[in-house]
Amino acid sequence: MTDHEDMDQRLLRLARSTEALRPSAGFSARVMSSITAEAAPGLLESAWFSARRLLPVAALAAALAVVWAVQAERTVDDELATTYASVGLE
Amino acid sequence: MGNQADAEDVVQEAYVKAFRALKAGEFDRRSSTATWLYRIVVNGAIDAKRSRTRRAEQSDVQIDPSWDGAAFAEARLALSELDEWLDALPPDQRAVLVLQSLEGLNNAEIAQVMGVSEGAVEQRLVRARTTLRQRRQQP
Repeated sequence: MTDHEDMDQRLLRLARSTEALRPSAGFSARVMSSITAEAAPGLLESAWFSARRLLPVAALAAALAVVWAVQAERTVDDELATTYASVGLE
Repeated sequence: MGNQADAEDVVQEAYVKAFRALKAGEFDRRSSTATWLYRIVVNGAIDAKRSRTRRAEQSDVQIDPSWDGAAFAEARLALSELDEWLDALPPDQRAVLVLQSLEGLNNAEIAQVMGVSEGAVEQRLVRARTTLRQRRQQP
């Protein structure tokens, strides 16, 4: 028997012998727990997702605010123009 | 790893890394899922083996009551023998030998797992066997 065969036989014997090894009790639960912890969003991530959900509402509110501001400015301009015209007539 | 507790830590970490990679869409499917998982586990094991100082065998392994006690004891002894035997090898050579002889992977699969060429796998296997043979011949 050569060294090579001897080595292969020893590896084969050890491979067969270690087949009986299984993960310890609770191993699957520990893995699932790690993955669940990984899947749960952190504080920053939660804040980002919440903020992202509010983004369309915030954009609409901003657009409405701009429209309101423009209209309000026009109203003030019209009123000022009317006032100056009245003063001019007097 | 030569120690069941360390091996379980490596596998647990590998699952989390795989989950993270899948979630981030980093698995490119160029290799099979099994090969990809092997790669994560083997890289984790090599890193752990390199970074950890050798710890004393832990006795906190819980025995599944359904196991045959004698078979389990024999398996633990075999694992210990294997660890002692392969301890002379650098982690990358040890990994290729374990993947070939214990996991039954062929050279092409090992090359994919290790991210090296088949020639490099063959070279590592030859070196590993030479080291083990030289060690055996030492008085």
